Parts: sequence; structure tokens; C-alpha cells
Amino acid sequence: MAAPPGLRAFFVLVLILLLLPPPPPLRAEEPAAEPADTRDAARVRSAPAPLTDVARLCVCDLLVAQCDVNCCCDPDCSAEDFSLFTTCSVPVVTGDSQLCNQKAAVYSLDVEANPPERIFKLIDQVNPSIFCIHATNYKQALYLKSPEIPTAENFDQLLEKFGGASFRAEPEIWDLDTDAPNPPEANETSRYEFGVPVQTEDSFLRLPSPVVTSWCSDANPAGFLVNQATKCIRSVSVEKCDSIQALSMLFYINSSILAVPKSSQMVNITVQSIVVQSLNGMRSLLSSSDVLRLPMVLDDLCINAVLGVNYHITHTDTGEIIEAAAAFVLGAISKEALSIEQSFEISFTQENTQPVPLSGNPGYVVGLPVRAGFQPQGSGIIQSSNKHSQLTILQSTSTQDCLAAQGARAPVLFGYNMISGCKLRITAAMKCQPLAQTLLDVLKGQSFPEYVASFGNSQAQDVLDWVPITQLHISEQSPCQIPVSLGIEVKWTKYGSLVNPQARIVNVTATITTSTLKQLPSGRERIIPITSSVVFTDISAPAEPSYKAWPTINIKLPFDFFYPFV
Amino acid sequence: NKSFQLSSLPLQILLYVNGIYYIFYFLATLAMIIYKSQVFSYPDDLLAPDVTVLFLMGILEVPRLYLGFKGNLTEAEAPLGLSLGLTVGSVVLSVYLLLWQTYVLWADVLLSAVLLSTYGLESGLKVMAIAAFVS
Repeated sequence: MAAPPGLRAFFVLVLILLLLPPPPPLRAEEPAAEPADTRDAARVRSAPAPLTDVARLCVCDLLVAQCDVNCCCDPDCSAEDFSLFTTCSVPVVTGDSQLCNQKAAVYSLDVEANPPERIFKLIDQVNPSIFCIHATNYKQALYLKSPEIPTAENFDQLLEKFGGASFRAEPEIWDLDTDAPNPPEANETSRYEFGVPVQTEDSFLRLPSPVVTSWCSDANPAGFLVNQATKCIRSVSVEKCDSIQALSMLFYINSSILAVPKSSQMVNITVQSIVVQSLNGMRSLLSSSDVLRLPMVLDDLCINAVLGVNYHITHTDTGEIIEAAAAFVLGAISKEALSIEQSFEISFTQENTQPVPLSGNPGYVVGLPVRAGFQPQGSGIIQSSNKHSQLTILQSTSTQDCLAAQGARAPVLFGYNMISGCKLRITAAMKCQPLAQTLLDVLKGQSFPEYVASFGNSQAQDVLDWVPITQLHISEQSPCQIPVSLGIEVKWTKYGSLVNPQARIVNVTATITTSTLKQLPSGRERIIPITSSVVFTDISAPAEPSYKAWPTINIKLPFDFFYPFV
Repeated sequence: NKSFQLSSLPLQILLYVNGIYYIFYFLATLAMIIYKSQVFSYPDDLLAPDVTVLFLMGILEVPRLYLGFKGNLTEAEAPLGLSLGLTVGSVVLSVYLLLWQTYVLWADVLLSAVLLSTYGLESGLKVMAIAAFVS
């Protein structure tokens, strides 16, 4: 027995180790509700701990002392209530699923039994994962932290920690930077900016406009560079018409406009023109516009009442107003009129420019008028400065009488096919040639252009950018032909890149169709329709997208690639 | 006395296995602490003691094993006794990691239990070896 004492000692030691009580099986702690510590007010208090007993937890128990439907864990439900349930809305109540070993309350309905009854089981749920939480020594690991209840002692500390706008270690500085440079004061030269009300010496330049209702309100200021046109109704009475300020020209031109805001530089409003409108609507331009005409009562009429004002303001490119002009429309108000409609307009022009509005840049924009003009011998294209009267067609009127409709034209807008017409009453007394000439004037208008701009921004100097209008006459062979229809066909194409195609007018053809005027027996009348139309046709060739060539792979091996063998 | 070797072979084997097992234990526990800190709420003031204890145990393990080897092979009881003392410290730290860590996972329990039983067996064998060397 060589080593019995050693062996014996070994066995004793093993026995001791085996007899040592194994460490008690650790369960995740289920902390009982801690009573609020009221004994010592100096200690930090926290709200009572949350309920964690799974057998007593019931999230669907919302009604107090009443049974919630399909809530199997509700203690207020009796067996009769359970027999009416169809399913359990909360089948399992369990703690954190990451715990190794925990209690779970399982609720189910036994629908086989008659009546259905609720089954409640408290089972031990085991998490088989090797990384399940066996124990924690950190209470807030699995539960939300109960907030501290403020007391007199910890109030300051809590306020400092949580009193800010956000819970941060360093409080945010909420004061604005006091060193920020102040906006420039008025002693610097300021200027008008877009939308800023145009100032006059006492207030703002007024552009009366309807506010909410159609009645004029004089408190609408005109904004710089804001072109506006307004119409509103003003109540008038003929007896007091010379005392109503808004009917007098002086009201609109007496205050001077400040050239720059808050300055002392004034710009007087000059009277550009005066148009006098008669009671039946006829307007005539007065030759001398420097005489101020004030409203006055004359034979039951109030004359020289302002019916419309058109302001034209000229400004520099630095936002300074240098000129202001007003064009007036004066009219007469009859005694029966209780209200009149006034129209106001303001437009801004930069000095030394002639704003010619483009109809597209470069291609035509749908809805903008087609630009057209004339070419006298040897010069560029001359266009009318009114963009709406360059290429026009007949505009239908309410009377539909061709001979009375003279003068009303509608502009041809790109992309909009239009058709209009009128009715011509032919009597036996009408002569062929004058009728044909009149109808041609009615159809074509006073100045039918010769050239149409091919691009929306074609310049008048570039004659080649303009397309001539081809005129066609379709007529029969007979002595008396009167034109009955004018058809303008505008052929346009898409030009430029596939991604952003621009509209370009390629061809304009004006076709006049004539028909024979038969002689009528005297006393008889005929009504023939006269039509004019504009059609826009897209003749774009289908697009040819171009693709890049397929990449080629150029592989060249170096000459000594197969070194030992070559 | 017989010219037997007094060095205990079981102790030597156990020390060797303990060394290898401890490396595995250290890496596994460190990895699990990292995992716990990502998955669970692990504030810094609770993470620090756990990591400190682990590294302390690692630092303690090296001289403990070295002294154990040396004492057993040279049949000297002084290093072996010192190693036994260091083992007590290691056992305390291991018990901390088993019971008082912030989160004790089931894997922690297994690893620590195996380590503790290894320490226990080792201590027993060391006591026997000391007894053999002294006598």
C-alpha cells in the first residue's frame, strides 16, 4: 500500500466536496412589490414596483367590476360568462421570454365541453437556448425603471437633470446668437424688391381690387414687379358724384411715388392718356391729356368719372422707380346707375427695354400666342407689340352676324385647335365683289401676317427663322365667288433632344375656300355659315434614339505570356 | 524511501487540462459579456466590475498554473502551497462570475461549474502532493 495516506486524503476531500450543498437553484428573481418607503423621508422614494405575478396580470381586463368579452383572465367573469366566449384574446401571460425558467399563465377555452369553460394553467416555461438568462443581479434589466418621486430633498437635483428641453449632460444654449449682424438699417440705400408694396409719400400706391365680394377695396397695395389687373364694382350716386373721391382722376395721381422705399426722392405720376367712353361703349382718345378732368354733374349724368386706370411704372435694374404714368378711361354715369365697374391695371417695365414677350424658349409653349409679322422689302420682321394680335382668327360673338362682328379677333394660341364662325345673311341686293371683299376682311382680319416665327423666341432680325404663310385659294370656276371658310393649318415638329423636345413650326398654310354666290330672287334671304379654323398638326418624324456602340473587349496577351514554352 | 517519483501525474494532467480549459473559458466569458452588452441593457457602471473580475482572474491564473507546474515537477511544496493560495482567489472570482454577475446566462453557469469542479479537484490533488512531498 504505497500511497494509502495520500489516497485516503484524496477520498476525504472528494467526499467533502460532494457533500457541500450545491448552490441553490437560481431562478430569475420575482421581486415582490416594495412598499413605498414612508418612514424615512430623506431616502429617495420610488413608485411601487410593478405587478409581476403572471397569474394576476390581465391586460384585457379594462372594465372595472365587469366582465370583458373574450378576456379569459378577467377575474370579474363567472362561469356563465365564460360559456359565452368564442376565443381567448390573451392566451398566454408570460414574463421575459429570454429567461431560462419562468412561470407562464395559459388561458384557453374548452369549446368541446358543454357549456364551454375556461381552462387556466400555470406552467413552467423553459427556454432551451444555452444563452437564456439564468439570473440577473440588476433589477432594471427586465423591467422598466420606476421614476423617482420628487421630494423636497431631491427636487433640485431632479430639476437640473430633467428640467431642460432635452435630457442632456450639457444643457443646450437656447439664446439666439446676440452677435448676429442686425438687418441693414434704412439709412443704407434700400431698393424695391419683388412683391414689396410700392410706397407713396403718405402710404402705398393703391390698386383697388375686390376683396371677398366684388366691391372695391382701396386698401390693396400694388406690389413691385407684380403685374396685376383687377376689376371691381363701386357704388355711386349721380348726385354726389363729384364728392366721391374714387371717381376723380386726382385720387389716383395726387400722391407721388417714392423712388426707393423710405427715401425722400419722389416720382410724380404723369397722365399718359385719357380715353373717354360714351354711354354706349364707344371709346375715343383725347388728344390732349394734360388737362385734369374732374367729375361733374351734367344733365342727369356724371361725366369724367374714372372707369379705369392703367399704371405703367418704369424702373431700373437696381430696383428704383424712375417713371410712373397712368392712362385713364373716363366715362359717364347715368342717373339710374347705382354702381359702376372699374378696372385697374399696373405693369412694370425696366428702363431701356422693350419687353417683347416670347412664346417659348426656344420651342413654342402650348397656350402661348403664335408670333407672326410682316417683312417689308429688305428689312427684318415687323411684329405687332401686342402679342395677342399677331396671328388672329375670327372670334364668334353672341350675335353671330358676320357683318356686325367686325373687329373682334381671338389670338391663335399654339397647340390649341380652334374653330369659330359667324352667319352671313345674304339678301338679293348684295353685290358680289364688295361682299367678297368684306368677307375676306372678316375672315382674315385687318392685318393678316405674312411670316410666322418658327421658334417661340425667334428674333425679328433673323429672317430665316421665320416661316412664310402659304396662302391657298380653293375656288370653283364661276364668276362670283365669295370666301366662306379660312382654314389655317400649322404643321409643327418636335425638335432637339429626345429628353426635352422643343416645338418648332415648320409650315403654315392658310386656305381660303370660296363658293359660288347664287343670285337670289328678290325678297328672299339666305343664311350661309362662315367658318374659320386653326389646326395644329404634329409632323414629327419618329425619334431615333442613338445608342452607344457595344463595348469591345480588346485582349492582347503580352508576347512572353507563355514564357517557358515560347 | 523508495525512489518513486513523488510528483503526482494526475495533478500534472489536470493542471495541463486546466490551462487549456481556462483559455477557452476566458474567451467564451469575454465573448458572452460582449454579447450581453449588446443585447441587454448593460450600464457601464455594472459592466466595469464584471470585466475587471474576468481580467483579474486571467492575471491570477498564469502564476497559479506556473507555480503548480513548478512545484509538482520539482517536488517542492512551497510553490505548490502558493499555488493553492492563488487557487483560493481564483475560486472566489469564479464564484463571483457564477453568482453575482449582472447577467448570468445558462452557458455561464455551465462553464463556471466546470471550472469550479476543476479547481476543487486540483486543490485536492495539490494537498495530497504537498502531503507526499512533506512526508
